[in-house]
Amino acid sequence: MESATVTAGHGHGEHHGPPEANQSSRIDRQTLGILLFIISEVMVFGAFFASYFFLRVVVNPSHWPPEPYELPVAVAGLNTAILVSSSFTVHYALESIRRGNRTGMKLGLLLTWMLGATFLFIQVNEYAHIGFSARDLAFGTIFYSLTGLHGAHVFVGLLLLSFATIRAFRGHFGPEAKDHLGVEVPGIYWHFVDIMWLIVFLTVYVL
Amino acid sequence: MKISEEGVFKWVVIVGAVVAFLVAVTLLTRPLVGAILLLLFVIAGCVHAYRWAVRKRRESRN
Repeated sequence: MESATVTAGHGHGEHHGPPEANQSSRIDRQTLGILLFIISEVMVFGAFFASYFFLRVVVNPSHWPPEPYELPVAVAGLNTAILVSSSFTVHYALESIRRGNRTGMKLGLLLTWMLGATFLFIQVNEYAHIGFSARDLAFGTIFYSLTGLHGAHVFVGLLLLSFATIRAFRGHFGPEAKDHLGVEVPGIYWHFVDIMWLIVFLTVYVL
Repeated sequence: MKISEEGVFKWVVIVGAVVAFLVAVTLLTRPLVGAILLLLFVIAGCVHAYRWAVRKRRESRN
């Protein structure tokens, strides 16, 4: 009798239609996707850092940067402050939309975009006035490779932020978590770009 | 398991503080001291990441 009841109950909740996509019970798709993406990006940067430290430690030139080249540490420090502050503004944008404050979200996204664009503009200006090119010694190559790779990531981040900002001004996004994924995902990416710059700044300009 | 912007932002603040400390130490001493400290922080970060991954794996099994 009991088994009959169980069978009847199971039959009532039977799934109709196509089978559900296979999914791990341990990790959801979005988290797995962004984790794999960030891990792959860390590996890309890791390859460039390995080349940089190979040049500095294994090749071990007498002067770093090689004479007569000099790196604009103060300008890079200012750029670092700009990029770090942009992480705070994107966080403000997300906190605002979580509380239902659309104006705050728009302001935060706009400020983030402007700070990111300023960072990129200063970096391009730095390239124009730095006095060496990517063809000048291995130092020039690794300097432009590392900072350029990061600059490319900032550019992609700016594109993502542009889409998010346009959508915000069109009235998209809401306080529910599922309704502001379009801001949260670019936000996570932007924070990742920010963390990578902090490491690039420390290794290339300071150490 | 879920990765949120808040969690990543916390790491921006932590890495920012560590980098500010390393910049200050490097400018006050020598680049070698900063490089050694950076290596120590990277090792500490790897240990922390490994322990986090093991804990999350255990939680997901229960």
